[in-house]
Amino acid sequence: MLKTMIQLAKMQFNHYNIYKSNFYLFTLNRIVEIIVYIFVWQAIYNQTGNAGGFTLSQMITYYILATAFSSIALWGINQTMAHSIRNGQINKELLNPLSYFQYYFGLNLGELAFAVVIGFASFTLCAIFWKLALPVNFLDFILCILVILLGIPVTFFIQIIVGTVGFYTNSIWGMQILRKAVIKIFSGIIAPISLFPIWFQNISKFLPFKELIYTPINIWLGKMPYNEILFVIIKQIIWAVILYIIAKIFFKHAVKNLTINGG
Amino acid sequence: MAIIEVKDLVKTYKIMEKKEGLIGYFKNLIKPKYREFDAIKGINFSIEEGELVGYIGENGAGKSTTIKILTGLLTPTSGSVSVNGIIPNKNRIENNKNIGAVFGQKTQLWWDLPVIESFSLIKKMYKIPENEYRKNLKRFTEILDLGELLEKQVKNLSLGQKMRCEIAATFLHNPKIVYLDEPTIGLDVFVKENIRKFIKDINKEKKTTVILTTHDLRDIEDVCNRIILLDKGQIIYDGDKQKFKDSYGKYVIAELIIKDKKKDIVLNDAEILEQFENKLKIKFRHDETTIVKIMDEISKFCNIEDIHMKEEELEDILKEIYKGAHKC
Repeated sequence: MLKTMIQLAKMQFNHYNIYKSNFYLFTLNRIVEIIVYIFVWQAIYNQTGNAGGFTLSQMITYYILATAFSSIALWGINQTMAHSIRNGQINKELLNPLSYFQYYFGLNLGELAFAVVIGFASFTLCAIFWKLALPVNFLDFILCILVILLGIPVTFFIQIIVGTVGFYTNSIWGMQILRKAVIKIFSGIIAPISLFPIWFQNISKFLPFKELIYTPINIWLGKMPYNEILFVIIKQIIWAVILYIIAKIFFKHAVKNLTINGG
Repeated sequence: MAIIEVKDLVKTYKIMEKKEGLIGYFKNLIKPKYREFDAIKGINFSIEEGELVGYIGENGAGKSTTIKILTGLLTPTSGSVSVNGIIPNKNRIENNKNIGAVFGQKTQLWWDLPVIESFSLIKKMYKIPENEYRKNLKRFTEILDLGELLEKQVKNLSLGQKMRCEIAATFLHNPKIVYLDEPTIGLDVFVKENIRKFIKDINKEKKTTVILTTHDLRDIEDVCNRIILLDKGQIIYDGDKQKFKDSYGKYVIAELIIKDKKKDIVLNDAEILEQFENKLKIKFRHDETTIVKIMDEISKFCNIEDIHMKEEELEDILKEIYKGAHKC
């Protein structure tokens, strides 16, 4: 099982990596985004001096990290799944000797491995030009990584749910845009959550998206008490379980529908 | 105990009736109307281990539907299916471990990776033991001549090369049953022969049960020893290939080279297919008359120089059956 997943991940990774230009273009794209954000925030800090409890150097670190983590939060198997449903490749995938979720989780890991490589490259390049705030201690670093890892099943099951819509509608383009928009807003890729209105912050407390970007960066910057981190970890696990159950039921219904009505 | 058992299988599709225009569109949204369509109307058959079965019929006869039910991709409307003791649609993943399938042009090879990568994924997915994997790979490479293809990216392969790799991938985990849905579509003669030889060899070595659907009846003629003929969702023949030819193929076709034709030839016992100045093509039933009698008759009209006779091929027989089936 594990071997199969590693092989799947490796293949999906290579599938991206075969086109070397992918790597350079994605990385370049990230760097340009970061530069724009930094210029904007430098201008804002020149006027106000403080925003959402971040110093300018912390804010620059925030955007560099947010951009590095963003591919992990946004990428995944959605596109592959939609494509395979539309062109009938799904039939072949349902004949694999392992479950669809396992198969796609393997692919998902490959996509994320590529996202990590790009995130790391853009992070390293930025670290050369700007002075970054580093984690105060090693434990913070580990916890930051842990929270990001806990986000992986959450985003995976969301993608499965969105992808499964494709069984009924054949096209999930709109759903995919919506998924990305929701994650972008609620995770803090666009701006730190602490800049948003209180009611928005309250909602995002219960959603799992903040933990994809905003929370791990705050842990990195040492702005998060440990009891809150514990709460966040438990919350992510609960969300993963809830989304798994929804994805499972929804997917089962879709496949049943497919096998009864034909595809 | 038969490896595949199909009893009173019925599959009915619900098709939404589309109404025209904008009003029709909204009517569809609120209260869709369905029309029922029987793709398979109660079929029975059982297949023993190691059989090579040709599953044939016209487009839309229900071949692919049956294959999809046998692989668990479709749920039967009624009736029962058991494959290797497993009910495929209830226990799909368990069933998948014993089977292999080729669906026309759908591929299990990864488009932009070398073929060998896809093979090693299959090895891991099916947990094929290392020595078994090497043995199969070596053997398949030999028969299908895969040699240098394995290191190439799939996108750089020709259709024939791709299909050869696909077939090898399907048999790699020693499946008990293999479903081949149009495996030779669009391939040249050499590749077709290559693939047929492979199927026969592997069947002999490993007793793999093969169910083959195809429109190229040469495939059936060459590979299969049993035919199941499907028409409009019903089995109209199930049995030995040779017997099928014997009982349906009563016609003999003869081509005669003639000269000095006096007038148009008219025959009582034989049907004239083509008639030219120096060539004549006729068809007759060998249980009603003999070629000697017919030649006698023809010689009244002209001199016969040469004669070439052939038995009706599977394709001709099927054409007649379809024509007959269409009439009623």
